[in-house]
Amino acid sequence: MSVTKLAYYPGCPSEATALEQHISTEAVFEKLGVELVEVEDWNCCGAAEAENPMLVYALNARNLAIAERASLDIMTPCSICYYNLARTANALKEDEKLNAEIKGIDSSLEYNGTITAKHVLDVLVNDVGLDELKSKIVKKVNIKIAPYYGCYISRPPGTAYDDPDDPVSMDQLIKLIGGEVVPFSQMKTLCCGGPLMMTRADIAYDMARNILDTAKSAGADCVALACPLCGMMLDAKQADIEKALNIKIEMPVIYITQLLGLALGIDAKELGLEKNVVDTKELLGKVV
Amino acid sequence: MIKTWELDPGFKDEIMKEPGGEHLTSCYQCSTCTIGCPITELVPSYNPRKIIQMSLLGMREEVLSNPDLWICLICQTCTARCPQDVGISDLLSAIRRIAEKDEEAGKLKIESPRPLFDTAFLHTVEKYGRLYDIGLAMEYYPKREGSFIAGQKAMMKDYKDFGMRMFFKGKMGPLGGHGLLKGVLPSKIKNKDVMKKIFKWAEEKEK
Ligand code: SF4
Ligand code: SF4
Repeated sequence: MSVTKLAYYPGCPSEATALEQHISTEAVFEKLGVELVEVEDWNCCGAAEAENPMLVYALNARNLAIAERASLDIMTPCSICYYNLARTANALKEDEKLNAEIKGIDSSLEYNGTITAKHVLDVLVNDVGLDELKSKIVKKVNIKIAPYYGCYISRPPGTAYDDPDDPVSMDQLIKLIGGEVVPFSQMKTLCCGGPLMMTRADIAYDMARNILDTAKSAGADCVALACPLCGMMLDAKQADIEKALNIKIEMPVIYITQLLGLALGIDAKELGLEKNVVDTKELLGKVV
Repeated sequence: MIKTWELDPGFKDEIMKEPGGEHLTSCYQCSTCTIGCPITELVPSYNPRKIIQMSLLGMREEVLSNPDLWICLICQTCTARCPQDVGISDLLSAIRRIAEKDEEAGKLKIESPRPLFDTAFLHTVEKYGRLYDIGLAMEYYPKREGSFIAGQKAMMKDYKDFGMRMFFKGKMGPLGGHGLLKGVLPSKIKNKDVMKKIFKWAEEKEK
């Protein structure tokens, strides 16, 4: 295992709506013996709402710079935080003039390109590595799982770390922990609708329903995901979708860090599994 | 029919000057972007290729007043598939920012609440350094509905069930594992001055 210590950027949802993802990420890395140092006084990445790339670059330069001062690569559990951190790192490395200008805003924004941004799923599969994970697995997560990747894991090309047409990292993890991957390739990377949740709920609900329905028809016990905004849309909003469209879905939605944590023998409570909105209790009986 | 005398030949350059809009003229109209777009599946009028073609032609007014601009998911599917590296997702964002500037200047009325939402979101980041959901909602709903009372009503409608769900799951409010008023009060960063500097700089850059 090449990685022993990382800067950890939890992102805004970690403090409220995606508390369980945050808790399970910390628990999993502790179990793996990788020290996470929270980025001190971290700020919001701008999410999808900062449409001005200059604002994104300046906001994320600060978080990158804090991690760089500790000489640690920066890891986040959120796909959009990852995208914003990674594209900022790219832009600041490629464009010296821009980098100088951003440093000029405040000295705390000085980032020299010596550390990189990583997504939790990437670190688990590619840095910690499947062999190392395998050696620590003590339980079989005997669940049928629909692997949902969402947008920023496999695109755009400049920051993606998995295949754009058929990403595999989550599938690999699921198989490793003893889960069954259900056929889901046409949905894997389709957007969850999240960006339109507050302005065009009708479209957003339709998109999320499509993903959840497909998982259901594929025979999945749950959907696995790796982004708190997808979690918001598919789990926290699932009851609203059911109500608006007058349907029943009842599909548990679980973060990949929670599923991996179970296989590593971590207690369900320490993984925040009682905080997922759609009940996950029934599935816990299948972890043996 | 295109009214050639109403075209704005400078519109292309205006877009290409915006960050993200640089590759507009690389488009060769193959329509790969539109075919793979998840919004086109649901909203047949939605056509990113056409928005690009109209922009190239200089149909400034039609492009900027097109309500479809505001239902893009920024999902990057088009960007990943475009054979010409046009970067459509970022390009559409550049066009939206031009529309917002026009609205600020009183030249356009945007038929979508999305800019209001984005602005309310960013206001909380500017103020606290992190997203503050409740602060965002308190600004967004009244602006969207046109009055404080109507805003509160709409907010209650959306948040009644959702808020209770978050409360009982301990993600917001006193049942939260991280303090009594989790999610109810904003989480603030210590260095708030730097947020002011960042926002001021980014705003200047947009002009
Ligand atoms: S995929 Fe690219 S080249 Fe083809 S129409 Fe869309 S923007 Fe133009
Ligand atoms: S980024 Fe927008 S235009 Fe491109 S595929 Fe996604 S929704 Fe369609």
